[in-house]
Amino acid sequence: MMLFADALFGLPNWIDAIIRVVLVILSMTLVVIYLTYGERKVVARFQQRLGPTETGPAGLIQGIADALKLVTKEDIRPKNADRWVFEFAPYATFIPVLMMLMALPFAEDWGVRDLALGMFYVFAILGLNIVGILMAGLGSGNKYALLGGIRAAAQMVSYEIPLVISLLCVAMITGAEKDMNGTGTLNLNAITAFQETRPYIVLQPLAFLIFFTAMLSELHRAPFDIPVAESEIVGGCFVEYSGIRWSMFQLTEYASMWGWSVFGSVVFLGGWAWPFGVDAHWSIQLGTTLVKSFLFIMLIFWVRTTVPRLRIDQLMSFCWKVLLPMSLVQMLMNGFILVYDWPQELLALTSALGAAALVAIIIRRAMRRPSRDLVGTYKTLGAPAQ
Amino acid sequence: MTVWPEERLATVDSFNTVDMTINVGPQHPATHGVFRMVLTVDGELVVDCEPYIGYLHRGLEKLTENHDYRQSMGWWDRTDYLAGMACEFAYCMAVEKLGNIQVPERAEYIRVMMAELSRLLSHFMFFGAFGADVGSFGTSFVYAWRERERIYDFFEVVAGDRMFPTYFRPGGLQMDLPEGYEPLVRQLLGSLEQGLEDFDGLLTGNEIFVERCRNLSPMSKERAINLGMSGPMIRATGLAHDIRKAEPYSIYPNLKFNIPVGKNGDVFDRFMVRMAEAYQSIQIVKQCLDLMPGGLVLNPDLPKTLRIEEGECYVRTEGTKGEYGVYGMARGGNKPYRMKLRSPSFCNLSALKEMVVGHYVADAIIILGSLDIVLGEVDK
Amino acid sequence: MTSPTTDYPGVAALVHKHLGKIPFTASKHSTDAVIHIDAGHFLELVTGMHDRRELAFDYLRNVTGIDLGEEGLRCVYHFYSFKHGHAIQVDVQTPPDNPHIPTLTGIYAAADWHEREAAEMLGLVFDGHPNLKNLLLDEDVRIHPLLKAHPLQKMELEQGIEDTSAGFKF
Repeated sequence: MMLFADALFGLPNWIDAIIRVVLVILSMTLVVIYLTYGERKVVARFQQRLGPTETGPAGLIQGIADALKLVTKEDIRPKNADRWVFEFAPYATFIPVLMMLMALPFAEDWGVRDLALGMFYVFAILGLNIVGILMAGLGSGNKYALLGGIRAAAQMVSYEIPLVISLLCVAMITGAEKDMNGTGTLNLNAITAFQETRPYIVLQPLAFLIFFTAMLSELHRAPFDIPVAESEIVGGCFVEYSGIRWSMFQLTEYASMWGWSVFGSVVFLGGWAWPFGVDAHWSIQLGTTLVKSFLFIMLIFWVRTTVPRLRIDQLMSFCWKVLLPMSLVQMLMNGFILVYDWPQELLALTSALGAAALVAIIIRRAMRRPSRDLVGTYKTLGAPAQ
Repeated sequence: MTVWPEERLATVDSFNTVDMTINVGPQHPATHGVFRMVLTVDGELVVDCEPYIGYLHRGLEKLTENHDYRQSMGWWDRTDYLAGMACEFAYCMAVEKLGNIQVPERAEYIRVMMAELSRLLSHFMFFGAFGADVGSFGTSFVYAWRERERIYDFFEVVAGDRMFPTYFRPGGLQMDLPEGYEPLVRQLLGSLEQGLEDFDGLLTGNEIFVERCRNLSPMSKERAINLGMSGPMIRATGLAHDIRKAEPYSIYPNLKFNIPVGKNGDVFDRFMVRMAEAYQSIQIVKQCLDLMPGGLVLNPDLPKTLRIEEGECYVRTEGTKGEYGVYGMARGGNKPYRMKLRSPSFCNLSALKEMVVGHYVADAIIILGSLDIVLGEVDK
Repeated sequence: MTSPTTDYPGVAALVHKHLGKIPFTASKHSTDAVIHIDAGHFLELVTGMHDRRELAFDYLRNVTGIDLGEEGLRCVYHFYSFKHGHAIQVDVQTPPDNPHIPTLTGIYAAADWHEREAAEMLGLVFDGHPNLKNLLLDEDVRIHPLLKAHPLQKMELEQGIEDTSAGFKF
């Protein structure tokens, strides 16, 4: 385990760690509260509405009011629920997300712990998330929840594979950096520092596309919100929860969305290092990371308001037939280029070609739809005269 | 705990699963009201479906039998509550047929105009709610609501009420259109057309939407006829049947419009037929504006109390969801002896079981949405 | 409504031409020709109307039950032919003590819910219907609200409020 450069104010390491954890938790709570507000506001604008306007100036304390309301609500447990499973499910989903935030570098020296296997740690810990969701699904004693839990399990397990492979592609090309002598690293801080001159999205656009898609799926965001499908299984595994337990799930959802976004911006967008460099002031680095993560979140909201939901079998076939082969191809290409020490521009070129192919496939499928002239494409008949 | 039936355990020697029943509704976001269906599912696959209706039964027919002809208007508004005026149209036509009452021509034009605007109301509701069923997180809903609000505003200008205007009367209309209505309507139509294009871009052009709806629960013409389907449901199967053309009523013979027809009768065709129909409705309203004659809007010879001696009729109109028929029987007095509503949603919904079985749960919701039921009409 | 005659107006003449063996009378009201038939010959008539190519009534539009007081219950069927574009109404009159009519579910799948509705609302019995239970009312309710004997405002009657006739007096 590596530590960040210096302990704060020269305090002992364990006090330093506690202070860092508390800071991260506090900022996470604040970010989550304002993400709920932000989501409502942004989505409302996408839908030509106003969103919250009443509570505070421009509805700014709406999130806090909602949180207060949720905390003070009655906590209901169904009679036929499995008591311990039901009650611990929210914590089982929340703890992995919290643990993941501990490993993220928000600025050069800003994070709780700088792990040598940071990337591995993040996706290993986030894989545990599914346990809590399955617990909620099975423990609620509700068939909607059961369906939601099973759907979530199937979906998250299968999307983890392309996700991990796309991250692996990035880990591979870190080996081509200066002074690495062909050995890559999984240290997130180091990966970020390598991107001082150009973010890895330039070298690996295909991996980024795959990462973003799989991330949406891991977060249960549209168009992959199948486990919580509001119009089918009315919230899925969360259907029986109320009050503080439900707000725990909500907290988990937004905290993991933020965590994933920071993670994604660290791995692909250059985190705190690009474009201001590793020597920039810490406030600039922190601001860069946050702005990039909010760009990610904005993209998630945008997708959510625009597209409908996939069906579970289409979701699965998209994962196994499109994303997985694409990610494997990306990894193979990277392998060839790195082994033969071909120039890095080739990495960008091949990956961009792959991404273009992926986009082309999707666009080509979308073009099969009937033309906009609806009445013309459909046979219009005059009915027989009476 | 589920008890595994002995006989099933005995017949299957390998890994065994047990069907599960899911209760969908009456409080469920996808049932569009208070409809309930019990799905028996094998994993995600629906193996049986039992619809239950009647949660909104208000005894429409009994009430009509016990009220004066004009008093019942309000009840009939509330059958297809998404398109009140189209229902008033059918009811008034039934009373007029029974009592042999003439309607001024201007009133007929205004009626058709209002009925077609009601059709747009209903279809917009379908686009919005169907988009929500497919999972587009309320965006389509809000789009639909924006356009519906414009039509409702116009209804308020004309009749003083939005959803249940009770604007029609046996023998004509309650009152004439307000001064300067024409620019209002033309502006309204322009924005509606723009709204339809928006939907076209949002839903029709969406790969996921097309992928989920195409080839879902296709239906043949013969089966649709046998199941008693009507309206866009039957036109989606490729049968060019529209009561406005096949058995014309009111001033529809004077108007030019097309009947959009589908090919496979699948969910996508149902959506597209309604989309194309909405464009046609806009054309019809435009023609009504162009051809609008002057004169009275209510037959001046009507008595204060309608008394109808004896008669029978079955009036069919192309309602927003299909064939909206009213069977009326009069035997003297100021009340009908019997008034029966043949509601299109009711007949379309009765085919639900056949359409849903064998599909995924998520698709069952979409198929239910594609039927475009309105529970006020189903439950009477 | 004109009284039934032996001459057959409109589409009824066509039905008589092709199904002459079946005894029925016909009349005409403001929208359709009407065939009056008893419950015994009804199924035979409808089978013929559905199967004969010249008639081809393939669409069951509507089923209405009517309580005619002393005359008994009547069931009114509306048929339509997509092939020929003609429509007809068939009245089946049942005697007061025997409201049995053969079911049409074997020919028209659409008849299922229509018949269930008529059965619960008026107490008509459709012989051979596979699933004749309540549709709109509660499953265990055994009232027939559309019978003329059924009061409109039962609650008021029970509470002892005398004037239960609905509507204004003109």
